[in-house]
Amino acid sequence: MGTYIKGSNIKLFALIFVALLLLPLIFRNPFFLRIATEALMWIGLAISWDVIGGYTGRVNFGHGAFFGIGAYITAILMMNWGWAFLPTLPVAGFGAGLVAFIIGFPTLRLMGAYFAIAMWSLALAFQQLALLMNITGGPDGMRLPTFLNPEFFFYLMLVMVTGTFVLLWYLMECASFGFKVRSIREDESGAMALGLNPTRIKIQAFVLSAVPAGLIGGIYAYWVSYIDPPSVFGDIITDQAIVMTILGGMGTLIGPAIGAVILFAFKTVFWAYLSDYQVLYLIILGVVIALTVFFLPNGVWGTINSYLDHRKSKKNYSLISL
Amino acid sequence: MAETILKVDAVTKTFGGLHAVENVSFNIDIGEIVGLIGPNGAGKTTLFNVISGYYAPSTGNVYFMGEDVSGQPPYKLAIKGIGRTFQVVKPFPGLSVLDNVVIASLSRHPRRRDAEAHAWEVMKFTGLADRAQILAGSLTLAGRKRLEITKAMALEPSLILLDEVVAGLNPTEADQTIELINKIREQGKTILIVEHIMHVIMNLSDRVVVLNFGSKIAEGKPEDVAHDPAVMKAYLGEEEQ
Amino acid sequence: MLLLLPQALVDGILIGGVFITIAIGFSLAFGVMHIIDLAVGEWIMLGAFLGFYLTQWTNIEPLLFLPVVFAVFGIIGYFLQPVIFRVISGIKGDPVLMGLVFTFGLALIFKGTGLTIFGFYSHSIPSIFSAGSISLEIGNFYLTIPIMRFVGLTYAIFITIMLQYLLKKSNFGLAVRALAQNREASGLMGINPKKTSSYVYAIYVGISAMTGVLIGSIFSLSAQMGARYTALSFFVVVLAGMGYLAGVPWAAFLLGLIQSFFLIYFNPGYTLIAVFSILYVVLLISPKGLFGRGW
Repeated sequence: MGTYIKGSNIKLFALIFVALLLLPLIFRNPFFLRIATEALMWIGLAISWDVIGGYTGRVNFGHGAFFGIGAYITAILMMNWGWAFLPTLPVAGFGAGLVAFIIGFPTLRLMGAYFAIAMWSLALAFQQLALLMNITGGPDGMRLPTFLNPEFFFYLMLVMVTGTFVLLWYLMECASFGFKVRSIREDESGAMALGLNPTRIKIQAFVLSAVPAGLIGGIYAYWVSYIDPPSVFGDIITDQAIVMTILGGMGTLIGPAIGAVILFAFKTVFWAYLSDYQVLYLIILGVVIALTVFFLPNGVWGTINSYLDHRKSKKNYSLISL
Repeated sequence: MAETILKVDAVTKTFGGLHAVENVSFNIDIGEIVGLIGPNGAGKTTLFNVISGYYAPSTGNVYFMGEDVSGQPPYKLAIKGIGRTFQVVKPFPGLSVLDNVVIASLSRHPRRRDAEAHAWEVMKFTGLADRAQILAGSLTLAGRKRLEITKAMALEPSLILLDEVVAGLNPTEADQTIELINKIREQGKTILIVEHIMHVIMNLSDRVVVLNFGSKIAEGKPEDVAHDPAVMKAYLGEEEQ
Repeated sequence: MLLLLPQALVDGILIGGVFITIAIGFSLAFGVMHIIDLAVGEWIMLGAFLGFYLTQWTNIEPLLFLPVVFAVFGIIGYFLQPVIFRVISGIKGDPVLMGLVFTFGLALIFKGTGLTIFGFYSHSIPSIFSAGSISLEIGNFYLTIPIMRFVGLTYAIFITIMLQYLLKKSNFGLAVRALAQNREASGLMGINPKKTSSYVYAIYVGISAMTGVLIGSIFSLSAQMGARYTALSFFVVVLAGMGYLAGVPWAAFLLGLIQSFFLIYFNPGYTLIAVFSILYVVLLISPKGLFGRGW
C-alpha cells in the first residue's frame, strides 16, 4: 500500500514543518524549547526503529546501541581529538551504519527472534565496552564542551529529524525499496522466487534504521554535554522507541511519530508530578505495550488507517466478482 | 532444430536417508509444454524446488540456457528467467494484488512507475485487473492461484514452472486456467507443469515425464506414456492375476 | 598459571550446571509453543525473591521451599499461558514477533514492579550449604568446590533427567511432543492443545522460578538481575540450537567454561563481549546452533 508523493501530503507536511520552524519565535521559553527538542529526538528514534521493526518485521531490542555509538563517537572525536562538533556527525552516522552492516550479516539471516535478542545483547555488550575502556571514560562517562543554545539544538534536531522523515518516507512509501522490504516481511521465501535477495535487502533496511539513530545520538551528546554508558546504551532508550512505535502503529512512519509524541507528552507530565516514582514508568511502559499488542495490534494510527481503508474498500466490493 | 532451455542432468536430492529425487534426467526445448506427473510423493515438488533454486541438488546438475545453475539461489534464477508458482500458494497477504505483482515487475522494471504500468499489463493478460486493489489475503483460492501465475509472468520468464495450478478449482475456473496456460505458451514461454488432474496434463503437454519414488520411469508423448505398463503399474498397482 | 586450570574447569562445569536450568525451561517453552519468552530472567528474579522472603520470614532452609516456589509460579504460568496464546494467534502481525513484544512488555512490568517493591538492593539467600566448600588436593593442584554450586549442579542434573523422563516416558510427555510437531493434528488425536500448552508453560515458569532460588543462594539476587539471565538463557539456547533440548547441557557447559576462564585468566568484565563474539561467530558458521539441529 504505497503512496505517491501526493500534492495534499506535501502541503500538510510543509505546513507542519513551517509551524515547527516558527516555534522558537513564538515560545521564547528555553525550557519549552528543550522539551520540543527532546520530543523531536524521540520521533527520530521511533521512526528509524520502525524501518527495521515495522517495515521489515524484525523487532530490534538493541536500537539504543546505535544511539550510544553515535553519542560516543561525537564525544570521543570532540574531546580526545579536538574536532569541531558538526564534522563529527557524519562519522557518528557512519559508525552506527557500519556496525549495523557487520552485525546484520549473521543475525538477519535467521529468525526474527534471534535477531531481536542478539541486538539486545549487542547493546549490553557495548555498554560493557564503554564501561571498561579508557577512551570512553569508563563508568565516569564523558563531558563535552558546554554549548548553551537551545535554539541551535532545536533547529538542528528539527532539520535532522525532518530530513530523516522525508528520506524514510520517500524510500519506504514512494520508491521501490519499501515494496521490497515489505514483501520480505510478508513472505521471505516467496519473495526470493520474484528475484529479491532477502539478506541484502534486510541489511540495507537495517543500516537505514541505524544511521539516523547514530546521528541523533551524536547531537544528543553535544546537547546534554555529558554522557555515560547507562544513559546512552541503556535499555530505556530502546524500550521507549519500541513502545512509541507499537503504540503509534508499526510500519507506517506516521504511527511512530504520533506514538512518540503521545508517550513523550505523557512522560513529561508524569515526570512533573511523579518524579519520585520513576520506577513506575517502567511498569507503565510494559502495560502500554502489553495492552497495545493485545487490543490494538495495529497501533493508534494503524487502526485509524485500516478503518479508513475498510470504509473505502466497502464501496468496491459490490463491483468485484470474487 | 529446437534449442534446449532446461537440462536436468542426473539430479539426485537426498534428505538424510530419504532419496526424494533419484538420478533424474530430461531436457526441455524452447516453447514446449512438458508435464511432470507421478503418484503422490514421487518427488515432483522436490524436483521443482531443485530447478528453481530452493534446494541444491545432492548430485547432478541443472543447466538453464546452457549455463550450469545448480545450487544457485532462487532470486538469481528468477532474474535469469525461471519463474514459478507454489503448490501451497504464497501471496503477500497484507499487500494488495497490484502490489503483489508490482514486486515481481520490479525485477525487470526497477522504477516504481514503470513497474506499476507493467503490472497492470500482466494483470490484464491473466484476468486479474478487476481485483487489483483487493488484499491478496482475501482472494478466493482461484484468485490466489491466478495471482501466483500473474506474479510468475511478471518476471518475464523464459521458463515457467507451474505447480498444481489447477488442483482445487471448479470446472469453470479450471478451464479458464487452461486457457491462460495456452495463452502463455503462445507468448513463446516454455512451461514445465505439475498436475494431478490427468486429463488436464495429458491435453496440455507436448511431452510428459513420469516420476515414481523419485526416479524417472517413463518419458514421451502423452498418449504413449498413458499406455506404458510401468506408468500404469505405478498409478494402479500390480495387475490382479 | 596452569595450576589454576583444573579449578577453572571445575568452576566452569559448576556454573554450566546452573546455566542448564536457566536455559532448559526456555528451550522447552520455545520447542513446544514457539514462544520466546523475554520475561524468563524476570521469572527467575521473582522466584528468587519469593525464596528470599520465605526464608527470611520462616528461617527455614531455602532449598526446602523449592517445591513451593515451583507450585506458586506454576499456577501463575498456567493461567498466564492462554493470554500469551491469544496474543500469538492474533490476526495481525507475525505471531512469533508479537509474542516477543508482548513478553517484552511483561518483562518491563515485572522489572518495574520488582524495583518498586524490592528496591535497588542486592541480597543473598542464606542456605545451609552457602558457606561450605570442599577442598581437594590432587597432586600439585588445589581445588575448591563451593558446596552451594555443587548443589546447583545436582539440581540441574536432576531437573534435566526429570524433564527427559517426563517427555520421553509419560503420556503427558507424548502429548507435549505431539503438540510441538503439529498442533492441529494433536487436537484431532484427542490431545487438548490448550491444556497441554498451559501445563508446559506452567512447568517452564515453575522451573525458572525455582532456578531463581538457587541463583539467589549461589550468587545474589536483585530486582535488576533479570536482564542478565534472559541474555544467558538466550545465549545457551541459541548455541544449543533453538528447541533442541539435548544441546542445552553442552552449550551451557561451554558457556560456563568460558565464564570461568575469563574470571580466572582474563578480565571478567569482558565476559559478555567474549560470549557475544563467540555467539556471533557460531551464528555466522552454523545458524542452527552448534549441532545444526535448531530452528
